[in-house]
Amino acid sequence: MNVNKKPLYTSRDLYNRGFEESAPGSFPFRRGPYKTMYTQRPWTIRQYAGFSTADETNAFYRKALNAGQKGLSVAFDLATHRGYDSDHPRVEGDVGKSGVAIDTVEDMIRLFDGIPLDEVSVSMTMNGAVLPVMACFIVAAEEQGVSQEQLAGTIQNDILKEFMVRNTYIYPPAPSMTIVSDIMAFTHRKMPRFNSISVSGYHMQEAGATPLQELAFTIADGLAYLDAARAAGLHVDDVAPRVSFFFAIGMDFLTEVAKLRAARELWATLVRERFNPENEKSLLLRMHCQTSGWSLTAQDPLNNVVRTTIEALAGVFGGTQSLHTNSYDEALSLPTDAAARIARNTQLILQNETGLCQFIDPFAGSYAIESLTADMVSEALEIIREVDALGGMVRAIEQGMPQRRIQESAASRQAVIDSGDEVIVGMNTYRSDDAPELDVFDVDNKKVLVQQKKKLERIRSQRDPEAVRRGLDAVMEVARGDHPAGSLLETMVDVARARATLGEMSVALEDIWGRHRAGQSTVTGAYRKSYQNKTEFMELVGEVEAFAHREGRRPRMLVVKLGQDGHDRGARIVAAAFADIGFDVDLGPLFLTPAEAARQAMENDVHVVGVSTLAGAHKTLIPALIEELKKEGAGDIAVVAGGVIPEKDSEWLKNNGVLEIFGPGAGILSAARSVLQCIAVRGTGETDR
Amino acid sequence: MSKNKAEEKKRSKQSGLDEGGSRNSGEKEERFHAWADAIRSGNRRDLARAITLVESTRPDDLEYAQQLLELLLPYTGGADRIGVSGVPGVGKSTFIDTLGKELIADGRKVAVLTVDPSSPLSGGSILGDKTRMVEFSCMEEAFIRPSPAGKTLGGVARKTREAMLMCESAGYDVVIIETVGTGQAEWQVSSMVDLFAVLMMSNAGDSLQGIKRGILEMADIILVNKADGNLKEAAELTANEYRNAMKLMDNGDCATAVHTCSALDPESVRLCWRHFTGALSQRKNDSRFENRRYAQLLQWIRSPAEDSLQQILQNSTSRSVLEDLADQVHNKKITPLHAGLVYRRNIVSEFADLDRHSKVPN
Repeated sequence: MNVNKKPLYTSRDLYNRGFEESAPGSFPFRRGPYKTMYTQRPWTIRQYAGFSTADETNAFYRKALNAGQKGLSVAFDLATHRGYDSDHPRVEGDVGKSGVAIDTVEDMIRLFDGIPLDEVSVSMTMNGAVLPVMACFIVAAEEQGVSQEQLAGTIQNDILKEFMVRNTYIYPPAPSMTIVSDIMAFTHRKMPRFNSISVSGYHMQEAGATPLQELAFTIADGLAYLDAARAAGLHVDDVAPRVSFFFAIGMDFLTEVAKLRAARELWATLVRERFNPENEKSLLLRMHCQTSGWSLTAQDPLNNVVRTTIEALAGVFGGTQSLHTNSYDEALSLPTDAAARIARNTQLILQNETGLCQFIDPFAGSYAIESLTADMVSEALEIIREVDALGGMVRAIEQGMPQRRIQESAASRQAVIDSGDEVIVGMNTYRSDDAPELDVFDVDNKKVLVQQKKKLERIRSQRDPEAVRRGLDAVMEVARGDHPAGSLLETMVDVARARATLGEMSVALEDIWGRHRAGQSTVTGAYRKSYQNKTEFMELVGEVEAFAHREGRRPRMLVVKLGQDGHDRGARIVAAAFADIGFDVDLGPLFLTPAEAARQAMENDVHVVGVSTLAGAHKTLIPALIEELKKEGAGDIAVVAGGVIPEKDSEWLKNNGVLEIFGPGAGILSAARSVLQCIAVRGTGETDR
Repeated sequence: MSKNKAEEKKRSKQSGLDEGGSRNSGEKEERFHAWADAIRSGNRRDLARAITLVESTRPDDLEYAQQLLELLLPYTGGADRIGVSGVPGVGKSTFIDTLGKELIADGRKVAVLTVDPSSPLSGGSILGDKTRMVEFSCMEEAFIRPSPAGKTLGGVARKTREAMLMCESAGYDVVIIETVGTGQAEWQVSSMVDLFAVLMMSNAGDSLQGIKRGILEMADIILVNKADGNLKEAAELTANEYRNAMKLMDNGDCATAVHTCSALDPESVRLCWRHFTGALSQRKNDSRFENRRYAQLLQWIRSPAEDSLQQILQNSTSRSVLEDLADQVHNKKITPLHAGLVYRRNIVSEFADLDRHSKVPN
């Protein structure tokens, strides 16, 4: 599912595609949204960061701004994403782990302490708990003396891709779309400098989408949001100028450059065609880009500096408005200070030492780039038409079409990497034995939890409970539709001022709308197909058959994610590929507690539980799972783990009962083989009987 | 201990038998009694293992499973046995989740057995998505076990029936058997439950194509789901269409009832349950309930013979014998009756061979 590439492009290719020259800052904006691009002002260096408490993240932000960063981009922890206060029992392992913990306005005030919010633009990656987070942000600014009109930045507010790939949703799709329009309407009235949505393809590519799929589904999402705004009574010119986009940049260099150029052309063309705006700004696609985290390897991690540089360069040639460059150690953990500095410097070097900012769209006119751009446009259009035929993106997601396509791409890609047909230097080929071992960054999750709980207690005891109750009632009235013209965000701002917690605000809506649970349909067959009966694959299949014959049943594995970590690309690929190899696989629901997972493993009587962990909570949640299994009388069930687990934690986990650890880049076939060995040779585990 | 020995030990442990157990029948029997007691006292882990045992394809496990079951038989038969089927996305899990929670609130214990298709290519499977049953599946009075259908259909029927008996002996007084309505396992399931419910979506045009007609013929009750919000009216219309359709294919016993349902709404699901129990108690009043269970029993007894005969008729040996005989008849060397008798003798001897190797007790 990608555009075809040719070894040689000539002027005929342009001619055959009806190439027409255009200027930067003019329709269809292929060459850039602005006339002058980087010649007047380079792209904004905007590094996504957040961890532990607001105080610690604040210190990190201030250092980064002093070191040349221009804008902030807040990473929230998973508890916050999913609308839980830090003291909620379901989020124990997640607080402060892969982002900063925010429970109340006080946390938000500390987060931006000493950072003038009327000068520094702030981007916030928040979708599920978008209302309380926006509300706390607005009140924090207010108490800094900065009004809503002065606030500049972006709220991600892109719920469709959450249902598709990222899984940090809270409410069912229909009310979630209401929230999106509510925020669009509020920012239109009160926050003219704020981007009300960041339509994100990034997470699609990270989940396995090809650049073409990423492009098509992202543009289709954007159109769905404009549709939703129109249905909510907003004019396209009220919202479209404040819609921004967010793309991933992978290693397929020329394709990525072409993708970004194609995105602008597609958006301008389709918005004009379908919404007929009066304001030309409604046609401009402005974007943020981030280098691909998935493309980074845990093996020989300094190679990642090179990968990130190349990807950053593609973003620059593609004409991005702001950029995040990943740190070289992000396949292992959150970045260390040293790694974060190199990442930031990568952009500073590109801006200051290469002279690239003297040119506007320097790739224009290249036979290859212009042809690829045109192909991207036309092939993405075909996918968008398929989506249209299903009734638009909301319906397509409900029917699982984009999810299936992305899962298929992910499984096929995994197969070509596992088989070595696609070379990843230092990982599946040219491996080095003397790659240096790195320091990794670790958040002391228990310490953060204690601090957050203390702060929550204090705030709950000092506030006016009556005001909080009234405020939450007002939120619920609007959510129930009692006030047709009411604004959810406005009532949220009021109740945030009264110091309601993020969890309370989320629960108020959950009481009315419920909490969404997505089904786990998984595409099988793609992995097997890509392997084409190769010997190494068929040998393993034979071993599985032999196991089944010997044991009277197939090896059975529960693949599970624990806590609030919804990054399920790995879990899905493992589930699908293992089923393709001949395992019976139970794919656990997302967001289970260790006790819930243990119960399921025990009742289904699996041989082994495979935990996929990417958000750093493994040291809390996996030992808890093993403990719960023992409590259920199922201590004989093996536990293995995979995902982002630093070397030192691997040792620790193995000492605490985990049989095997599969780090990033572990091949599926070898993982399956060693799981099979684990359960075949496993001694007589003591049980309750 | 050699690797094989270790595996053997581990295996026999799984089946609740010690290594020496098979040599010392007294000790083995004791272990079975302990296992059966544990199941009856509600030990979930032991029930889970027992179901693994009935699912096993090993001949010795088949024997063990029968022994264990025979200890439990006196405590079986008391549950309401309900089949629930429907195409993916129709809301089966949501329905079972709501129903399960309501039944537990009424003091019942609910077991759910789901049968998931295995891939014909790899033999593997992706099993029972409990996503929409998280809360229910963690309740003390619930037990949920998804199982792979495996490659042979006859197997599903036996395994599911036996798992159902295991659950009954463990005190579950409602057993729900869920299948994906693709027509494969439904016939098997409908022949082991007291009441077979099929969930349908409103907007009949689509769903009539989605689900095999044959499944509707098996249904005792059709529920048109998602009758909530602005779909309520559409669901009513759809239900009417089904009522008309079902009149045309009356199954003799009694006309299939059709109702609308909102799986998200506990009240609506409660009403469905009342429809279920209403139908069941009606049948219990006359002899239909007993007759159905008796017929199922006969079917259960007949099926090993029938399944084996089917397998023999379809295996390559009997096919090549048939082709060979056909050649001879075609070339006018022997009469068709002569060939038929040879063919029969061949099959009878294969059938007898099968029995000689069977490990099931006399």
